Amino acid sequence: MENTERITPHAGDVILIVGTVKGAFIFHGDRDRRQFRIAGPYFKGQAIFSTAYLPARSGPRILVSNKSEHWGAVVSWSDDFGARWHEPADGNLKFPAASGLSLNSVWALEAAPLIGADVVLAGADPAALFRSDDRGESFRPVNSLLNHPERPYWVPGFGGLCLHTILPDPHDPRRIIVGISAAGVYRSDDGGESWTRRNKGVRIDAGPPHAPHFGPQCAHKMRYDAKNPARIYLQNHPGVYRSDDGGDSWIDIAKGLPSEFGFPLVAHPSRADTAYLIPLASDQFRVPLDGSTKVWRTRDAGASWEPLSNGLPQRDAYFSVLRDAFAADSLDPAGLYFGTRGGQLFASADEGESWRSIADWLPAVLCVKAVAVA
Amino acid sequence: MRFHLPSALRQWAGGNEIIEMPLAPDVRLAIGEAFMMLGHHYPGIRQRVLDEQNNIRRHVNVFVNGENVRFLEGGATLVTHDSEVWIYPALSGG
Repeated sequence: MENTERITPHAGDVILIVGTVKGAFIFHGDRDRRQFRIAGPYFKGQAIFSTAYLPARSGPRILVSNKSEHWGAVVSWSDDFGARWHEPADGNLKFPAASGLSLNSVWALEAAPLIGADVVLAGADPAALFRSDDRGESFRPVNSLLNHPERPYWVPGFGGLCLHTILPDPHDPRRIIVGISAAGVYRSDDGGESWTRRNKGVRIDAGPPHAPHFGPQCAHKMRYDAKNPARIYLQNHPGVYRSDDGGDSWIDIAKGLPSEFGFPLVAHPSRADTAYLIPLASDQFRVPLDGSTKVWRTRDAGASWEPLSNGLPQRDAYFSVLRDAFAADSLDPAGLYFGTRGGQLFASADEGESWRSIADWLPAVLCVKAVAVA
Repeated sequence: MRFHLPSALRQWAGGNEIIEMPLAPDVRLAIGEAFMMLGHHYPGIRQRVLDEQNNIRRHVNVFVNGENVRFLEGGATLVTHDSEVWIYPALSGG
């Protein structure tokens, strides 16, 4: 694989923005997605927790959240596919002094074009939502969630108390759903003025059964269905769920899966009722079952599941796949990509029917973003 | 007083290894306050040494006249016009 310092994609090409514990990489392939070039590492030695791609009118922008264990976390950006990166001297995500909180890391970056052309939302550890109105250059906290009355009951998971998933509604600019570990699902229907927990029907394993809708809920990843914005898929810490009412209630769709535990979840970019999971053995043993790597797909909104393993390692594979390390591009057929904590990056150009490794020796992968360049 | 910067922070000080901040001879202030003052001219240094609560970051070591402030009074350690301040990334594993 050629290593280059400069990525110059054409319309229809695919780029993969890969965040690792030791820096960011950009992979570039054409529409066939058979060959990828790699550029990077960028932000050497820093952990890249999240990325976003803004295909805005003023030119594409890549955002990354880079964290130095020494010097703190910041959101940086590139307007030329990684040739130059910009990082504000004075940082750009800060908790208010009165909160007593300090930023650990930025777990989620999500463009929200329906809210505003230049709006980017960011999820932080400790759990908080931030909003940018200038394409990710500066942010301000969403105080309604920062000061939520239930905040004292939120508890950190192994990764910290993080807001890791942001789902701006694709049709209603006033509705935003977020996932917090370990607090669960919260939704705003008024543009972020107020937030209500939306965990009804989600089983709770780490708290008393008499409080099933509260306590230590732990959503791992949520995605909208491609065609039905009221339908949301949820990989929870215990369980796999679907909501058909925008998160008001959840039903168990784990039947047919070999394990209900896992982190990432991807919805097909254009096909209804189609989503993908990578189940792991258990909460205690977060690796593929029996060392055999399989992506599981549903094409009927979770009524049934089928394994996809052609080209994936089927023995002695004991890696984890983290919640943001699985992504789809928007081409037809869709490309799927996931990175592992072992440093492999796997790709499928045929919706998961066949896979191959496109990188084997990366640092542990934290996040993958796949983009079909317009 | 003088601040000695590690290589990783020099990009936020015009490439300089040492930056000076004049103080009157009778002034004594906390090192945390000194970094906040320094931030008026060098916000990139302040941002990377202090968090938003103005605490010295966990994996940053600050030495005043050879002593690690972590074992003195932390951010409240007093400095004067002739203090020599050294900033080091901590030897943190991983």
